Amino acid sequence: MLEMLSYEFIQRALIASVIIGLVCSIIGVFVILRNLTFIGAGTSHAAFAGVTLGYLLNYNPLYFAVVFSLLTVWIVGYLNRMGYLKLDASVGIFYSLTMALAVLFIGLMKVYNAEVYGYLFGSILSVTKGDLAVILILGLAVLSLVYIFFKEFHFITFDEELAKASGIPAGWLSFLLLTMIAMTIVISLKSVGAILVFALIVTPAAAAYQLTYSMIRMFLYSAIIGIGSSVGGVFLSYWLDLPSGATTVLFVSALFFLSLILSPKRGYNS
Amino acid sequence: MKDNVIIRFSNATIAYQHRTALTNINLEIYQGEFLGIIGPNGSGKTTLLKSILGLVRPTHGTVQIFDCACHKLRCHHKARIGYIPQKGQIDHNFPVTVMETVMMGRYSSIGLFRRPSNDDRELVKKALVEVEMDGYTDAPLGHLSGGQQQRVLIARALVQQPEVLLMDEPTTGIDTPTQYSMIKLISNLQKNLKLTVLLVTHDINMISPYVDRMALINTQLHAIGTPAEVLNEKVLSDIYGKQVVVATRSGGTYVIVGDYHHA
Repeated sequence: MLEMLSYEFIQRALIASVIIGLVCSIIGVFVILRNLTFIGAGTSHAAFAGVTLGYLLNYNPLYFAVVFSLLTVWIVGYLNRMGYLKLDASVGIFYSLTMALAVLFIGLMKVYNAEVYGYLFGSILSVTKGDLAVILILGLAVLSLVYIFFKEFHFITFDEELAKASGIPAGWLSFLLLTMIAMTIVISLKSVGAILVFALIVTPAAAAYQLTYSMIRMFLYSAIIGIGSSVGGVFLSYWLDLPSGATTVLFVSALFFLSLILSPKRGYNS
Repeated sequence: MKDNVIIRFSNATIAYQHRTALTNINLEIYQGEFLGIIGPNGSGKTTLLKSILGLVRPTHGTVQIFDCACHKLRCHHKARIGYIPQKGQIDHNFPVTVMETVMMGRYSSIGLFRRPSNDDRELVKKALVEVEMDGYTDAPLGHLSGGQQQRVLIARALVQQPEVLLMDEPTTGIDTPTQYSMIKLISNLQKNLKLTVLLVTHDINMISPYVDRMALINTQLHAIGTPAEVLNEKVLSDIYGKQVVVATRSGGTYVIVGDYHHA
């Protein structure tokens, strides 16, 4: 155990796990309560398309991931807000559109690039110092915004129209929340992967939802489950020599099913 | 009373993308009055309230509150308007307690970047006492009955310390005895706190003993006045498009709407 911790790449992976586990699980509470689960899936695929374009053009893939994911959440949010299209329909369109773009960009690459596929399935053990700095800065930004606007986010999550009628700037706060979801996905992309990041956002919060009727406790439980499964996934993948992203998702899914069994809400879910 | 107009509709027409909800409304609402708003489904009752809140704006004419155009209301104006929307199905498991729900009414007054103070918590407790829900502070909102949830939502509006209370069918989905106790509670609050109350409802008979005036609308304002002035068979038949019988018994006026056939 101690020997494992002496490796620098393991130290970086553990720090990244704690931050990503925390940020994903906190933002996941809003995703679950506002029924935005599908938007997480759509955005992560959009971010992956950005990564592939970055590799194709030989620029930092992270910049393109940011642009693609932000454009996706903003356009989807706008179409929904203006009443042009329901959220799930517009997310579905962007989900397939961005995946098609990703396949196209990969096809245009002249040589096989294994790193691109790393973004699809994630590899937390390959996080560099530069990656860690980005994860830390963006993660802290997302957490700070949650802290600053906590009461307003709680209100718009409970009833957006009522919040708006009460003078809360619900419109731009909703877009800020979508932006924060996009940022959370971007920072988790390399470590967890475009396909599996969605699970790290949704599952800890869904498990916490089973365990409490208090919003504050839901955040606390979600954070514990998120960090626990993220760090646990690193240890398990190292010891068992398994892919880290998949191990983390299987671990957090097991915790979710445990929470279903232990839920005090069982019998009230009519 | 007539000198103190607090809400004014002047030739106001409000249209959505594919339909006109309200046409050419001229209406003055006075400070401290209890106004019942009556009309069939889709008649524009909710739109009337939403236009006051600035959530929809008139395509023609103006809607003003506190001498300010409603679509230009700032936070300090909105804090003076308590709103109780039509009660949707509250998620049984949504993580929010009674205390947290009522505290939301303070958020616009507290402002961005600040946390609720002890004074805010005291106001929440006081509002819960006013609606007789002070024993449920830490209860999950979803665990309460429909009537109790409605009382909590009224407390949420009261904690804003509003001058105007807009209520959209507050008795829907509640059993009849609780509906009457709810209307009585609203009437007492209106008198004690000197509130201007606009209450949208389908139940004419229930509110007519309590309101000062009634506005009868069906995309247009068909009549406004005291219950005795407006509750007549011709006006009500025009609005509902059905036969209406108005009966008086023991000093009260009762309305029966439906496909009524004489024997």
